[in-house]
Amino acid sequence: MNPKLFLKFVSVSFQKQVTYRFDCFVGIVNGFLYVFIFTSLWKALYSQFDTTMHNGYTLTAIVTYAVLVMAVRISFTMDDSIIYRKVMDGSIAMELIRPTSFFFMNLAENVGHSLFHMMARTVPIVMISVFLFDIYIPFEVQRLLIFIVSCIAGYILVSMMNFIAGLLAFWFIEIFPFLLFKYAFYTFFSGGIVPIDFFPEFLKPLVNLLPFQYMLYYPTTILIGRASLVEAQSIIMAQLIWIVIMGAICCLMWGAGKKKLIIQGG
Amino acid sequence: MQQGNIAIEVKGLSKDFDVSESGKGFSGKLKALFHRRRKIITAVDAIDFEINRGEFVGYVGENGAGKSTTIKMLTGILVPTSGSAEVNGIIPFKERKKNAAKIGVVFGQRTQLWWDLPVRESFDLLRVIFRVSQPDFNSQIKKLDKALGLDPLMNMPVRKLSLGQRMRCDIAASLIHNPPVLFLDEPTIGLDVLAKESIRNFLTEINRDEGTTIILTTHDMNDIEQLCKRLIILEEGKIMYDGETELLKQKFIHEKVIEVEFHDDGNVIQGIPGVTVVREQGCKTWLTFDNDNYGIGDVIGTIASRYEIKDISVNEPSVESIIRNIYNTRVTRATPSEESRNK
Repeated sequence: MNPKLFLKFVSVSFQKQVTYRFDCFVGIVNGFLYVFIFTSLWKALYSQFDTTMHNGYTLTAIVTYAVLVMAVRISFTMDDSIIYRKVMDGSIAMELIRPTSFFFMNLAENVGHSLFHMMARTVPIVMISVFLFDIYIPFEVQRLLIFIVSCIAGYILVSMMNFIAGLLAFWFIEIFPFLLFKYAFYTFFSGGIVPIDFFPEFLKPLVNLLPFQYMLYYPTTILIGRASLVEAQSIIMAQLIWIVIMGAICCLMWGAGKKKLIIQGG
Repeated sequence: MQQGNIAIEVKGLSKDFDVSESGKGFSGKLKALFHRRRKIITAVDAIDFEINRGEFVGYVGENGAGKSTTIKMLTGILVPTSGSAEVNGIIPFKERKKNAAKIGVVFGQRTQLWWDLPVRESFDLLRVIFRVSQPDFNSQIKKLDKALGLDPLMNMPVRKLSLGQRMRCDIAASLIHNPPVLFLDEPTIGLDVLAKESIRNFLTEINRDEGTTIILTTHDMNDIEQLCKRLIILEEGKIMYDGETELLKQKFIHEKVIEVEFHDDGNVIQGIPGVTVVREQGCKTWLTFDNDNYGIGDVIGTIASRYEIKDISVNEPSVESIIRNIYNTRVTRATPSEESRNK
């Protein structure tokens, strides 16, 4: 994949998002509402107990987590129904006649989408939250750099997850219910609502078998300082292993799906 | 025949689609939830053909005959159920990307341009995708602009183009990398006469000047008559005619229609050998004659000498009427002579 081409497609996808400005405004309000609900919920919960520390989180730490995991999640916004829609209306044919990798074009499209959401939604939401809530982020340059690397790895995992879910359309065409199911799984098991530390014991073996925690939870714990820098390195290693595993699944599914593909509408 | 002379080679190519049927109405749909009747439809059924470099081939058939499915297999979009195909010596469904770099594709019902971008930017993206150098790109665009009149469209967003304008841009887009093989799937669908004409002229030009091999599917038989020397007719996934377009006429046309107009009505044409009157209306009479055994000159000469006529015209049956005839009568598979194919 030619990097110049990749960047061109990121920019096309970014520009497309700019045309939907009203969406973006609603998105900011919506994102902030989530942050507000979760932080209020944590405050109410913590006020019920005498102890100030739960599962290793003080109130400040859990509020910080709630704000930042939301910031990462919003930055990772992508349209998970792109492949599904392209199969539904048959326009996928027009992409397959180009000498480009379908996977990387999809990734580029996602990156453009996400960059826009990061700039237009994450930045204002974080800025407002810093003023409104009691947030503590340990500021170390090295930690910040590792956080960015871990976020990129997490982002690739989310993109692969959506690619795999989208490819199901090659078999079933109508996959909207699958996408809802995937969304629920992703939001919960990635630690998008509650940090993994708060999960009941019986769920933990399942969580450890799934890649979701490496998408949002671990990158966030690096930034808020719950993971030491040494731990952060092993987190990134685990993320890389998951990228290889999910990459292999993407390849296998793409190979098998091609044979199943039907172009709708002639 | 030399190996390097073959642009497309297809052997025993088949594509089956698995279609699951659900019953009628609510109860039928409910049953389908638990038990689906599966049905296999063979869209393309073991077809063979070879297309040489520089040929201009019409690929026709009724709706659902398997034309588009064949094109989609040759462009690497669909993977065949069985059989083999090579385009420029590349197997499209094994090396889709490599194949895509050497072909141009237009699907008349779709666009490969970016809906929200101006045409110019779409072209520029394709330049990067196909790795065309800037000087090559500039000269190609210049050439395409001259032939297709793109200049006034260049800064317009694709969604604002009319169908004819969009089609011109789509054809230009498919040729940015100057591919040796061009697939056109109904490129003239829904276009007015002028737009069709300009596209036809352009296609003739690139076929002649660049030696581009062109495979054209269409329902417009005028396209075929004006453009395609060779015709492949597909029926229910099988090839039922593969040969010269002209030869199709000779093979299937044994009659010509003559329209005669007299100064006044009441004239009755009779007693001319080989001629049958089809219809009489006022001053006009329509005749058919057997053109295998009688010459057109003799027939007209005889009519003109015996009757006082105001006007006379001979109507060549169109390829369309021939093909309509073929579809209707389901003529048994006709194989053209080797000689005609290798011309």
